[in-house]
Amino acid sequence: MAVADFLKSARESFRVGWKIESNWTDPVLFATYQIIRPLASLLIVAFIVIIGAAAGAAGSAFYTQYLAWLIVGTAFYAYVLQVMLGMAILVYVDRNRYEVLKNIYISPGTLHPYVIGRGLVSVVNGTISVILTLLFSVAIFNGLLHMNIPLNLLGVNLLMLIPAVLLGITALLGIGYMLCAVNIVSNRMEFILGDSVSGVFFLLGGVIFSISLLPAPVQYVSNVLPVTYFLNTVRESFGLPTPGNYMSNLAILGLTTLAALILGISVFRLAERRAKRLGLFDRKSEY
Amino acid sequence: MLPSPSFREDLTNNLRAAYARMWVRLRGANRDPTALAAEIGLPILTIGAYVILYRAIGLPATAGAAVIVGGAMIAFWTNVLWNMSSQWFWEREQGNLEMYLVAPVSRMSILLGMAMGGSLNTAIRALGIVLLGIFAFQVPFLVRDPFSVGIVFVLTLAALYTLGMLFASLFMLYGREAWNTANLLQEPVYFLSGAYFPAIYAPIVPFGLQVAGSLIPMTIGLDAIRRLVIDGASIMAIWPHIVALIACILILFPLARRTLNYMESLGKKEGRLTLRWQ
Repeated sequence: MAVADFLKSARESFRVGWKIESNWTDPVLFATYQIIRPLASLLIVAFIVIIGAAAGAAGSAFYTQYLAWLIVGTAFYAYVLQVMLGMAILVYVDRNRYEVLKNIYISPGTLHPYVIGRGLVSVVNGTISVILTLLFSVAIFNGLLHMNIPLNLLGVNLLMLIPAVLLGITALLGIGYMLCAVNIVSNRMEFILGDSVSGVFFLLGGVIFSISLLPAPVQYVSNVLPVTYFLNTVRESFGLPTPGNYMSNLAILGLTTLAALILGISVFRLAERRAKRLGLFDRKSEY
Repeated sequence: MLPSPSFREDLTNNLRAAYARMWVRLRGANRDPTALAAEIGLPILTIGAYVILYRAIGLPATAGAAVIVGGAMIAFWTNVLWNMSSQWFWEREQGNLEMYLVAPVSRMSILLGMAMGGSLNTAIRALGIVLLGIFAFQVPFLVRDPFSVGIVFVLTLAALYTLGMLFASLFMLYGREAWNTANLLQEPVYFLSGAYFPAIYAPIVPFGLQVAGSLIPMTIGLDAIRRLVIDGASIMAIWPHIVALIACILILFPLARRTLNYMESLGKKEGRLTLRWQ
């Protein structure tokens, strides 16, 4: 398939996906919807830290620094949530609800540009959530509550941030590919899979605490997850302390991203072949 | 013209409809062991992250116990959102809603059946979450008055599922909005109800937040349950919670009934009761 055709298909898929995601309401309500979930998640952890500080569990310098670390981690975790939940439900929605998966499959091209286009919608949603969460966090904690959290959004190093975000998003799309693959051959996992995978990343990816606090055997799992290095590199671009240095974290992020992509595409191809053999592209189940 | 059924016949029909809807829910939700295991195991991932966070900032182990109770109660909220509030949306998508509407029973009995089945199902999962949480994180509980725990738990569920009935009526004509609204009501309620905080009615939590949280029955019930099972309090310490929960039920149930009638009538006028793929 020519690159131009691939890009055209991906663009059309993105366009359809964006309409499905956004045109159920007016833009203001949609923007509110995009911000409320990640902001509420952030407020939960922020209040936990504030409660901890009030109980005298830690010094004030510790908790302002920790809050900055937490805000960046929770804000960028929005990419994980959006991509995992969006791509896990994709096959179900188009096969069961709109009943178009079979039509997409038999149209010229393959499912790949379609999945990528729809995955990119989740990425755009994630980007909106990240930006709004960061802005609201600074406005609430520094502007409203005068907590002097060391988080300077204008001082972020974009040369460090952009490669980290691009690699992180690519890794997440690779994992999202696997979720689509599982749903193509299964009809019972769609509501569990996205939450399960994002839950694992929330616990093991260093989102709200350093992975050094996990039991030693579990840290081995954390150390192979791209999300761990994605958050490390992103935090470093904000000037926040992380284990290792930026270049080593970025290099490992690159390697884990490559692994996620290869694995994602391979699993997807296997699932595609199996689905075609067993006639699963138009299997509808209501239970 | 058909004779009108007697009150007794009417009541029997409605109770049978509620039982039938409950049976479908129980049967449907428990026939897949993978889903059951996931629904117990999944919340433990998030609960675990918060328990580790509490340990990291040096809070006592009772804070971890509060998170486990909060995580178990969240299972009920999720059930209320996805299996009560959005249920008419799912039923319409699957073509079942019109069958409910032409059945010679009150729609409230269908909702009651959903609520009974959903609360029983979720109680099994919540128990699993608490037991797994205690086993995995070794947090302390102190129950001195199990009878009061039972009363508060049942009242909390009744208030919560009555709110679910109200939402189901409000969501009746929703298309994709049902999905998105249910999504929207997850994390903010986790935050407002203090499900992951050691206590919502603590001096450090802003008063406005406590007031906003108190509009959700789960907040009140969760706080009472925590006092009973973590602090070892007696019924004397939580009687205002009991009064508040009873008030919630008495307000929300008639409101749900009126809203359901209104939305059904609106749906008939606008021809939206059988509309799919919105």
